[in-house]
Amino acid sequence: MTALGIHGIGICATGLPDWVLTQAVLLGDAACGMEPLGKLDIPDLPVTERRRVNATSRLAIHAALQAVAHLTMEARARLPSIFASADGDGAILASTLEALAQQPATMSPTLFHNSVFNAPAGYWTIASGANGPSITVSAGAATFAAGMIEAGVEIVSSGDPVLYIAFDMPFPESLRSFGVAGEAFACALLLGPLSPATSAWGRIEHWERTASRVSPSAVPAALAPRFRGNAAAAALPLLAAIATRAPTVVAVPYHDGDCLELAYTP
Amino acid sequence: MVMTALPVAASTLVNACGMGWANVRCALREDTGGLRRNDFEPALALDTWIGRIAGLEDAALPSALAHFDCRNHRLALACLEQDSFGDAVRAASTRHGKERIGVFVGTSTSGILATELAYREGRRAGDASTIDAVLSPSFYRYRHSMFAVSEFVRTRLDLRGPAMTVSTACSSSAKVFAQAARAIAAGVCDAAVVGGVDSLALSTLYGFHSLGLLSRQPCRPFDAERDGISIGEAAGFALLDPAAESTVSLVGFGESCDAYHMSSPHPEGAGAITAMRDALTCAGVAPDAIDYLNLHGTASRANDEIEDLAVAAVLGAGAPAGSTKGWTGHTLGAAGVTEALFAVMALEDGWLPGTLNCRTVDPRMQCRIESASRPAVLRYTMSNSFGFGGNNCTLVFGVNT
Repeated sequence: MTALGIHGIGICATGLPDWVLTQAVLLGDAACGMEPLGKLDIPDLPVTERRRVNATSRLAIHAALQAVAHLTMEARARLPSIFASADGDGAILASTLEALAQQPATMSPTLFHNSVFNAPAGYWTIASGANGPSITVSAGAATFAAGMIEAGVEIVSSGDPVLYIAFDMPFPESLRSFGVAGEAFACALLLGPLSPATSAWGRIEHWERTASRVSPSAVPAALAPRFRGNAAAAALPLLAAIATRAPTVVAVPYHDGDCLELAYTP
Repeated sequence: MVMTALPVAASTLVNACGMGWANVRCALREDTGGLRRNDFEPALALDTWIGRIAGLEDAALPSALAHFDCRNHRLALACLEQDSFGDAVRAASTRHGKERIGVFVGTSTSGILATELAYREGRRAGDASTIDAVLSPSFYRYRHSMFAVSEFVRTRLDLRGPAMTVSTACSSSAKVFAQAARAIAAGVCDAAVVGGVDSLALSTLYGFHSLGLLSRQPCRPFDAERDGISIGEAAGFALLDPAAESTVSLVGFGESCDAYHMSSPHPEGAGAITAMRDALTCAGVAPDAIDYLNLHGTASRANDEIEDLAVAAVLGAGAPAGSTKGWTGHTLGAAGVTEALFAVMALEDGWLPGTLNCRTVDPRMQCRIESASRPAVLRYTMSNSFGFGGNNCTLVFGVNT
């Protein structure tokens, strides 16, 4: 498969609020805290949307903004986007279920439009003015890999860069029995055709499905348990390779026990 | 860049008009709509009309698939069993290898109804422990989650290729055609099963009710007196296979976002215009080559008006267009594939579907709204799908020469 350049990177996760701190943590130069992320305001949204925007959208957009921080607004608005999430917004789901269990059942318009799985993409396009294609995909534990494949396919198809955002959050207490419990994690990768001028974060030389198992990675042992069950956090080994600038073949979970192999080169 | 035509090798569909092509064709030919006064037992309080598929309530999945059992997968299975679709997929699987066939399925709510009902029952009984006992990780994965529908389809069809669910609200199962075309062109898979499945759910019925969008009569797209939408449920699948013989191919697609509002379309239809223009460019055909456009046409007052504006801007005033939602209702995440397949059928049959329940075309419309079905010589057809979050997708199909 065609090599992909990494043109930008962003992260927003519990204890990892931005790439600078994440890089330090992944290099072993800083400890990773457990501070909640807080409200994650999005000043780029119009007033009404800024008030209504749901938690997964805030998380995903904060990661996205870091990955495109070096671009002009015009350049951001031209980017197609790929959003990937296994579980969507559990808080919105919990509110929806509660509202529907009332007698009589009720839904509010805001709850309804925040309940669509592509709500983060919708808010992102409003915040950035991006009016090109946007897709939101989901593939269970294989979600991060599925989004990478979609991103790679779109780049091969168009020859243009795309913004790829993977995100997932734990479900609230009322839905604890579903077992969706990994801490909040979103990462954004600005990916595109290889270009010495713009592939500042290195490249993915190839991306292939293989029968191999997930390989041991350079992710600090303390990080893995907190994000266990968060499908988007399958990105961590790739982020660790980027942080350490180490040529690494990263294997992320895919379907049928297989992996998607991502060959990273700084 | 003009895309390589991608043959629609096989297809199947189930909606309120009937199970499988023979029944659906018959309903379209005879102007027999599938909408009924709301008789969906979990939501009887709503005064509206719906496109419910009768019998799903009693169609439990076979024991080997019992862990997947929910209304959405009963609907998916009912559909996969029509039109010898499974045979066509098996043949493709033999030809290419099951690991080389992708599965891309669109849905807006997957199996959420199962959770809605279990939660409501437990909550009303004041029993949180029952809720916890029913809503297990396995229940979530196999019945409720977004990927559940794709996992069900690839399990049932015994496919092992790339697979993901696309969920962009009401454009979901149109976008899977574009996604599959790209994936095949890039060599990620050799062929693909694409489709959409969306079943009735409380959240969507009450959600559209909260927006004041549900009609109290069967929906009347583009009628001067239209007053809202009817929600339906549906499933549809197509096998896209470059190695297959077919009458009709996918020849173009266009995708865009409004970047304007979460639930209202851009007032000048900017996103819809981009999607249609890009689809024409991708197909390499002129606007006047489109012989029939299956409109998104939900019968909401504002949305139909804006879509008409956008269509006139791209295809010109007088473009032949219609909405089939009077037959099926708005089937949300399954609307894209349902209406894409109507656009395919129009080409296969030389038959242009009208706009059921549109008795007096809104005089402000610039398109030529085809209110009555008729035979027609067709070379290219188009289908529009627009969703919440301002997500738009247009597909173009053509007769193979």
